[in-house]
Amino acid sequence: MSTKTPAAPAEKQAQASPRLPNPGSKKLFRTIEPYIWIAPSIILMAIFIVTPIVKVFQLSMNKVTRAGRLKGFNNFENFTTVIKDPAFALVLKNTILWTVAVVVISTVLGFILALILNNQFKGRKVARAIVVFPWATTLVIQASAWKFIVNTDYGTLNTLFKKLGFISASVNWTSTPSAWFAWEIACGIFVTIPFVCFCVLSGLQSIDASYYEAATVDGAGYFQKLFKITLPLVRSSLTVSTVLNIIYVFNSFPIIWTMTKGDPANRTDTLVTYLYKLAFYNGKQGEASAVSVIGFIILLICASVYMVYTLRKGDEDL
Amino acid sequence: MTKTVNKPVSVKKTILRLLLYFVVLDVCVITLYPYFAMLCTALKSREEIFSTAGTVLPITALWSNFIDIWSRAPMAKYMLNSFLIAGGSTVIAMLCGIPAAYALARMKFRGQTAFLGFVIVSQMFAPVVLLIGIYQVMQVLHLTDSILGLIFINAAFNQAFTIWLLRGTFMGISAEMEQAATIDGCTRVQSMMRVLLPVAAPGIVTTLIFIFINAWNEYTVALCLISTDTLKPLTVGINIFNGYNIIEWQYLFAASIFAIIPVVILFMCIEKNLVSGLASGGVKG
Repeated sequence: MSTKTPAAPAEKQAQASPRLPNPGSKKLFRTIEPYIWIAPSIILMAIFIVTPIVKVFQLSMNKVTRAGRLKGFNNFENFTTVIKDPAFALVLKNTILWTVAVVVISTVLGFILALILNNQFKGRKVARAIVVFPWATTLVIQASAWKFIVNTDYGTLNTLFKKLGFISASVNWTSTPSAWFAWEIACGIFVTIPFVCFCVLSGLQSIDASYYEAATVDGAGYFQKLFKITLPLVRSSLTVSTVLNIIYVFNSFPIIWTMTKGDPANRTDTLVTYLYKLAFYNGKQGEASAVSVIGFIILLICASVYMVYTLRKGDEDL
Repeated sequence: MTKTVNKPVSVKKTILRLLLYFVVLDVCVITLYPYFAMLCTALKSREEIFSTAGTVLPITALWSNFIDIWSRAPMAKYMLNSFLIAGGSTVIAMLCGIPAAYALARMKFRGQTAFLGFVIVSQMFAPVVLLIGIYQVMQVLHLTDSILGLIFINAAFNQAFTIWLLRGTFMGISAEMEQAATIDGCTRVQSMMRVLLPVAAPGIVTTLIFIFINAWNEYTVALCLISTDTLKPLTVGINIFNGYNIIEWQYLFAASIFAIIPVVILFMCIEKNLVSGLASGGVKG
């Protein structure tokens, strides 16, 4: 196939094309053909992803009017203003707590659930279908449901527990902002588990059964098999799900927005809800963009550290 | 313990089995609980929801709530908007994504790795962190408060997944058939349309449904860009029942159920294919 030839020689030939108009123009076409194929995708992403990225960086570096007009470079004043605000430290702490708690707990629980669902048992298909529910449901609705369930006065959790005799009087499940935040984390875990579970399941299903048979013959116990066979072999699936989850959870907006809107006094805010309020409630677009940029940097560091760490670990084992 | 040859093994097995069923049942009950609560609440009257006695199941199922929401809010409009946004995003994402994935899977060109790298990195930029930028771009294009604007945004932010999943699908299919078709005089486009795409249909359907679901469930960008009530999708629109002073839980959840059902059904169809696609495409990328 002509396209299998390396790009560089093809380009050289294309440059010599004027002498041989017909085959030359064909070669030229072959050189540029791939770019025609990817052009629609590139144009779409350039307008709706790249331009906003550039805009956000631009805004973060400039003095910005309420209408969003740029008034020149202001020596990173947006960043210093944001960082100096005492609320920012709190928001940052919340964001880290939120991301770490949701990703770690849902990864552990999702992994265990995948091990369970990987067994052969009656009703396995039904169980798998049910587990997928929270993944498919939009986060706003899931969050409203939980907001209702944990309500002190009329929430169904209190009603149910009273009927079952676990408690005698209504419990205030959300007495403090931290309690609200804990429920938000619980909701986050609830919706993240299915994704982890299914990523691990796909990894588990590709493991050859003969490994386990050989290990059983050698007298390996359940946990030995788990740590020596299962874990190393599903690590690539786990890496994918963890990296994607770090990104999704860090950027997750609807759960917190629906349940508390980050209130009271930023106690349940994460970076994304904080920047949304800065930009669209307070009209501080420059500062909000600075928060965005800080978010990118944190995310980039986390994701790349994790990738490098897991990839290197994989090489050592080989 | 007295040791007989067979019994301890079978007893242990039975206990493990029971434990397995117990855990699976628990997981299912907990997972379904919010949906159960939503359905029960959607069937209650306002008085019953706020009554101090509290009931788990509705005293009498008030199916009229499911009818009332259509007159109390422009539900039909919301539903139509959601379909338009999800459908439109899917079409555009596929029209742009299929050729790009094809080029990545079947051709070699300068900047290929860079393009793939960009596709993967673009996943890091969730719309919510870029909202300010998106808003400004949309203002320039006069696409704020428009369904078309949401379609483009959803299509763009789903490009990474589309290309990722489709490239994996295409690479898993041998190029021999297409080469044979080319020798028989087919152009590249013809050989892709007639030979590759039919074979890749399962992967394409999976990708298609996945984008549809993502766009259907999208909330943040729609919340920020759409201000006209009749242009809102379901995810944003149903919050009409979630007012600052009064939350009409029965209506909110009745409307939510309408928003959930289509997606859950679609998701169950693709669940198996989607995840294997995610894992393989991700590792290769």
